[in-house]
Amino acid sequence: MSSLSVDLHKLSKFVNLALPVLVIGFLLAGKYVHFYFHFLTVAFLFLTIANVFYLFVQDQHPLLRNFGIVAQGRYLVESIGPELRQYLYSSDTEERPFNRIERSEIYRKAKNIDSASSFGSQKNFDTSEIKLRHSMYPSSHDDLIPYSLTFGEERGLKTAYTITKPMMISAMSYGALGQHAVRALARGAKLAGIAMNTGEGGYPKYHLMEGCDLIFQIGTAKFGVRNDEGYLDDEKLRELAGKDEIKMIEIKFSQGAKPGKGGLLPKEKITREISELRGVEMGKDVVSPPHHKECTDKTTTVAFIKHVQEVSGLPVGIKFCVGSPQQVDDLVQEMVDQDVFPDYISVDGSEGGTGAAPKSFMDRVGMPLFPALSSVNRILCKKGVRNRLKLLAAGKLINPGRQILAFAMGADAVYSARGFMLSLGCIQAMQCGNNTCPIGITTQDPALQRGLDIGTRSVRVKNYVNNTMHDLEELLAASGERSLDDLSIDNLFIPEDSTLAPLVHDKYIDSKH
Amino acid sequence: MKILSWILRIVAAAILAQTLFFKFTGHPDSVAIFTAIGMEPGGRILIGVLELIAAVLLLFPGTVAFGAILSMGVMTGAIVGHFTDIGFADGLLSLFVLALVVWICSAAVLVIHRRQIPIIRQMFAKSKY
Repeated sequence: MSSLSVDLHKLSKFVNLALPVLVIGFLLAGKYVHFYFHFLTVAFLFLTIANVFYLFVQDQHPLLRNFGIVAQGRYLVESIGPELRQYLYSSDTEERPFNRIERSEIYRKAKNIDSASSFGSQKNFDTSEIKLRHSMYPSSHDDLIPYSLTFGEERGLKTAYTITKPMMISAMSYGALGQHAVRALARGAKLAGIAMNTGEGGYPKYHLMEGCDLIFQIGTAKFGVRNDEGYLDDEKLRELAGKDEIKMIEIKFSQGAKPGKGGLLPKEKITREISELRGVEMGKDVVSPPHHKECTDKTTTVAFIKHVQEVSGLPVGIKFCVGSPQQVDDLVQEMVDQDVFPDYISVDGSEGGTGAAPKSFMDRVGMPLFPALSSVNRILCKKGVRNRLKLLAAGKLINPGRQILAFAMGADAVYSARGFMLSLGCIQAMQCGNNTCPIGITTQDPALQRGLDIGTRSVRVKNYVNNTMHDLEELLAASGERSLDDLSIDNLFIPEDSTLAPLVHDKYIDSKH
Repeated sequence: MKILSWILRIVAAAILAQTLFFKFTGHPDSVAIFTAIGMEPGGRILIGVLELIAAVLLLFPGTVAFGAILSMGVMTGAIVGHFTDIGFADGLLSLFVLALVVWICSAAVLVIHRRQIPIIRQMFAKSKY
C-alpha cells in the first residue's frame, strides 16, 4: 500500500477507541475548563452508547458488529445511491426500465417542445435492433386514411365503441395511483379524446369524475363486481356497464408485471376509501387470486367471456401476458369451437411494469411483447379468425418508434401505462409500491399528491398523446403505407440474430384480415 | 403500550416545561445554579430553549424519539452538573431527582419508540429486503 491511504479497518478500530476516550476528555474539560464542554460530553457519550450497541448488542448486521459506527457510513451513502446514480453517474442510455433518453422524449412531448435530436442515434445498431423499413416513395399526408377502430362491430353490437386514436391509457387502478394522478389522466384522456382503462381497482369513482371514455377492468379478485365468495356479481356488473362513460369491459387474466400471479396491493396503500371501493380489509396486503374462480380451463374461460358479454351488453375484451403460445392456440381453438370471441385480445408483454410484483415475477416470467404479439397474431391468422376480433398490445410502448413496431406485428391499437405516468412527470424513482412516490402519482399520501396539479398535468397528458400521434403518422407516411392497418411484418427490418427473425418468412402473417 | 408511552411523555414534558418558568423569568434559584456552573445568563436561556424544544418534540407522535434523545441529552448534562459543580444541598436534591425522573421517562419512551431512532432504526425495522 502506498504511504498515503485510508485503511478502513484501522480507522474503525481507532474510532471505537477514540469515542470513549473523548467522552472522558470532554468530561474533564467540562469540570476544569468550562461547563459548556459538557455539550460535547453528552453528544459523544450517546455516540459511544450507539457504538457499543452496534458492536456488542445487535447481531443483525455483521458489518456493524465488526466495525461499529464507522460502518454506518456505508449504509448512509448507499441509501442515496439510487438518487446519485440517476442524477449524476448513470449514462443516458443505461438506466432501466427507461433510460434518460427515452424518458426525456416523453417529457418533451408532454411539454410540447421539440423532441428532435442531433448528431445521430445513441441506440446500438447491432444485430438485434428491429427497425421500420421506410419506402422510397413515402405517402403524402393527405393520402393517409384517418384512423378508426370499432370494437364490437364483429358481433353487430349497438353499443360498439369506436376509437379514433390508436393509443389508450392502460390499466392503472385508483389505489395503485392516487386520486390526483387518476383524475389528471382521466381529464387528459378526455382532452385528447382517447379511452382509459380503469384497472382492477373496484368502483372507478375518480376515473368517472372527468367524463372520459372508460374501459372497466375485471381483475381476478373482481373488485367492484364481486360477491362475497369472490365470484362475479351480475347485478353490479350490469349497473356499471349501464354508465355512459363505460364503453367496454376488459377481463384481465394475467398481467405483464406478474404473469400467473394475482395483483398485489400493499397494505400501506389501503385507505378506508380504497377498502370500501374494493370491498377488502384494511391493514393487510391484498393479494388477488391468480385466476378467475369461474375460469379453470379453456372451456369455462370461453364460457365466462360469453357470460360477461351477455350481462354487460358492451364490447368485452380479454387481457393476458402470453406464457405458452400453445395454450393461446388451444384457447383460440376453443373460441372457434364455441363460436364465441372476445371483442379484443390485449397482449401484455412481460416487460410490463406498473404494479407491485415479486422481483422474480417481474424479471423472469412471461414472454416479451414482440414475440408474444406476433405469436398471437399468427395463431389468429392461421385459424382464419383474425377478423373476428381486435388485437391490442402493451409493454413499454411509450414512444411512437416502439409503437409502430407493434402495429407492424399485428396490433390494431396500443396501450401504455408508464408512458402516461412519465407524461404526468414521473421521474422513475421506482417507489410505486411503497406509497412514497415523490411526484405524488403512485401514493395515497395527500402531502405528496399536493404537488401534482390536475389541471396542468392533464394538459401534458393531452400534449403527449397528440405529439405521439403526430410522430406516428410521420412514421406511417415514411413507410409508404396509408394506414396502420396496412403495416405488416414486411415493413420491418428484423436482423437474422433476432428471436423474431423466423417470423419474417412465415407467410401466415402477411395480412391482418 | 400506547397509553404508557403517553403517560411517560406527558410526565417528562410537564417537568421540563415547569422549570422553564424559573429559567426564563430569571428566578434567583435558577440564576444561582447557572452561576455555579458558569453559564449565566446565556447558558440558562440556551438550556431553557433546548428543554422547550425537547418537551414539544416529545408530544408530537412523529418526533417522539428525537424529543426523548434531546431530553436525555439535556438531563445527562444536568446530572453531570449535579455531581461536578452543583451538588445536592438544600432544595437541589429534589431538582436532581426531577432530572433523573425525566431521564428515566425519556429513556423508557425511547425504548418504546426505538423504531424511530434514526441511527439504529434499521436494527428494529421490519426488513423490506
